[in-house]
Order: sequence, then C-alpha cells, then structure tokens
Amino acid sequence: MIEVVRAGLCDLVMDPGRPGWGALGVPAGGAADPAALAAANRLVGNDAAAAGLEITLSGPLLRFPAGGVVALTGARFAAARSSGAAVAWNETLVLAAGETLSLGPAQTDCRCWLALRGGLAVPPVMGSRSTLLPGGFGGHQGRALQAGDALPWTPAVGEIRLLRTHPPVAPHNGTLRVVAGPQAACFDDAGLAAFFASPYRVDPASDRRGLRLHGPAVTHARIELASQGVLPGAVQVPPDGQPIILGWDGPVTGGYPVIAGVISADLPRLAQLRPGDTVRFVTIELEEARALAAGQWDIEDIA
Amino acid sequence: MGKQAIGQPNPDAGWRWVSERGLRVVTGDTTLPRYLSLVSQNLPEIEDLIPADDSILLILHRGAPMSSALRAALAAPLADAATQTGPLHEIAVEYGGAAGPDLPGLARRAGISVADCIERHAATDYTVAFLGFQPGFPYLRGLPDALCAPRRATPRVRVAAGSVAIGGAYCGIYPADGPGGWHLIGRSAVTPLFDPARAAPALLMPGDRVRFVPA
Repeated sequence: MIEVVRAGLCDLVMDPGRPGWGALGVPAGGAADPAALAAANRLVGNDAAAAGLEITLSGPLLRFPAGGVVALTGARFAAARSSGAAVAWNETLVLAAGETLSLGPAQTDCRCWLALRGGLAVPPVMGSRSTLLPGGFGGHQGRALQAGDALPWTPAVGEIRLLRTHPPVAPHNGTLRVVAGPQAACFDDAGLAAFFASPYRVDPASDRRGLRLHGPAVTHARIELASQGVLPGAVQVPPDGQPIILGWDGPVTGGYPVIAGVISADLPRLAQLRPGDTVRFVTIELEEARALAAGQWDIEDIA
Repeated sequence: MGKQAIGQPNPDAGWRWVSERGLRVVTGDTTLPRYLSLVSQNLPEIEDLIPADDSILLILHRGAPMSSALRAALAAPLADAATQTGPLHEIAVEYGGAAGPDLPGLARRAGISVADCIERHAATDYTVAFLGFQPGFPYLRGLPDALCAPRRATPRVRVAAGSVAIGGAYCGIYPADGPGGWHLIGRSAVTPLFDPARAAPALLMPGDRVRFVPA
C-alpha cells in the first residue's frame, strides 16, 4: 500500500494503455510517453507493461509504509525525500520503510512517470490499468489521485539492481514534425501558410483529450465532413480556425478537417508541452516518418 | 507542402495513409461487412479497427508494414451484407418534456406535430452504424429525412445519460452524463449502455438493430 498524503494536480495510474477497443468508442489511452514509463519500469525490475503513475505539472506527496524501490523518468520536478537523500531522475531509488517522496512543481516541461517495483495493483479494466478520465474508469477508481487514497501495492522482494537510464536526446526547438492530414487539400493557401509559418500557443484548457492551440486562424473551406476514425496526434481544425491536437484520451472519431498528423516519434514531445508553450509545425514526408525508429532508452548498471 | 501530393486516394484501391500508422479504407455503404470481414481475419499487424460513416480506420502497430495478406483482405469480395445484421434491441423512450427539450423545435422545423414527430421516430428500425464520441455512444442509421437536423450551434454543457438525440442524419443515445451538441428528443432507461466491467462493455454493437418504443 502507498498513502497519498497530498495529491498533485493530476496524478493518474497508467500503463501502456488498452488499444483494440476503438470500435466501442474507447481510445487506447495509456502513458503519454510509453517509452518513458517502460524505462522507469525497467529501472525497478518490472515488466515494461507494469502500472505506474503519470504526474502532470505538479506532483503528489506519497508515503511508503513498507519502503519500496521506485524510479522517475520524464520532466524534472522539484522533489524531496524525508530521509534527506537526493531524488535522482533516471535512476533506481530505494526508499526506507515509512519514507515519503514529495514531488512539487515541474521545473521544466510537463509530465514525469513514477514506476514502483511490483507495479500498482489496481484492477485491470478492459485489459489495462490505465485511467481513462473521460470514461471514468481504469486506474484508481477511474479518477486522478486524491489525498487520503491508499494505492494497492505490494513491494516485490528479491535482489535489487541499481540501474541508470539515458533518455533519447530530443531536439527541443519547439517544433513538432507532422505529415499531411487526410483533409489537407481542404485548406486554402492562406490557411496552410498560417499553419506552417506561425507559432501556436498551448491553451490552458488542454488535457489528455487534446491540446488546444491559439494563433493565426487556419482557414479552410467549410465542408460537411463525414465522421472518420482519428489517431492521437491528428491536428483538427474546427470552424474557428484554432487547431486542436488530439491527445491520448481523445475521441476515436471526429468530424473536423484534419490538416496534419504529429508523427509517432514526436508524441513524447507532445506529452511535455505545457500551457503557454509555443509550437511550430514542420512537415516531413510520410515515408521518412514511417522509417523513423522510436528513441532508445539505454539502461546500464550504476557502477 | 505541395497541395497536389496531399489528400489523394491511392489510385489502385480505396485506401490511403492517415499519419504513418493509420490506413483509411473508403467503404461507402459496405462499412459494416468490411469491418466484420477484417475483424474475422485477425491480421497481426492491425492494432485497432475503427469503423465510421463511410470509412474504416485501420491502426497498424508502429513500424508494421502493410502485408500482402492485408492488401488481399481489403480487396476480397464481401459476403452478402443482408446476412450480417445483428440482434434487435427494443428501447423504451420517454419522449419530449424535460427529457426531450428540443422535440418541439424539431417538429416545427419538420412542419409536423410533436405527436407526428414521435410516431415517425418510433416507426423506424435503426442500425448501429458505428460507435464513437464517448465509449458506447451508438450512431444509429435510418433516421427519417424529415427529422434530420444539423447539430445545435452551441453544445449543452451537460446532457443526461440515456438521452436520445438527433445529430445530422443520425440518432444517438448518450451512455453517460457529459457535454453534447445534439438535439435532445427524449430519454431511455436502458442502463447501462456502456459498462467497462461487462464482458461485452457496449450494449449496442455495429450491425445491431434498434427500435424505440414510446414509454
């Protein structure tokens, strides 16, 4: 068991998600950067698919009555342990019985992932332990953590290896690579020019369903579009011309024209955008996007 | 970005790439049989299949190439669609009043009485074309032309679970409380439309038929 002494802004139990239920209107969801959660899991000796926490912008204060082995990956947050030991990112951390781990505001970017040796033992729903907030199911009672929650968890016993991981180097120049969307031809030259030449600011109303952007209006012919299946990363443009990038928990079908799609390799960067950040879009060819491999998180023993 | 290169269907077949791991298959009025055919073939590179209005989105596992088996599956002839209809669900509806505040407006728009509106809506057998918007939200095909209406200009912040609604050429039922932009005509007590703990989480599946019965 882990006690949630103080909850963060939006702490969600996550695993790789539940792909395969799209025909029921259920998005795949799962960790916004599954490779980062998988790396954290490897640092604590877990299967990559074990459930951990996805922590957004400001983190919780957690107490580990029986101690435990944990690891953090992703954005750096202000962090402290009651033992006074340093809280390193990308390393195996061994917490003593009764120790607390306190995460404050994110110092850079938006999201981090906390893996716990043995994995959180919330019940799987439709094949996954991931929280789906729009559906109100999965994770811990279908919602974000609250103060007073007791998270089901049994610390695994056995040999502990102290490991370190090196995250893939991500160019942090504020651009997202996209491929042309299925309705790109519906947009006029002015709309395309605005979209590809202008910075767009991330709106505070953004969440895991979608990132709402503000900037020069992306104009398009007002066509009646049949509802179509959509993927996370799809950039929809509603009639007001302000783009929305569909997120991990977004709807599985949409009726707004899609001007572009953020490539899979850049979805981890989407996970780190916070309100007020600006982004620009740069287009690459489909074949180039398909050839891009996922970034590698190399793991090594701490000497 | 060259406009000539984008949004063009593959000339050889009714499919095109959507981002780097989506394939949109244009299916027209054969969406359901094509969907069922693809599901039955259980191809290993497919992570998910999302049927919609007149197309299916195939989501491939990241990095998976399009196999010859998948190309063959997309080109394969379809079984007779008439043999593939699902079970019939009779759903009781309380029409109008507080449960269906948009019914009078729809009747006026159609130039018919509210009673006539209800009668026409309940006289039709609907087919679940696809699910979307919310988990378990059915898009029902078969709405009489007179009852079709574009979505409300301003969506409601909260629509009650069970609300029966009209959006464009579709009828739908909201499985859960939430925002919604469709015209509300009544409420059903069919509960729950979606329950993630059930073996079959969605009560209504693509291909199922629905008949509304005035309560």
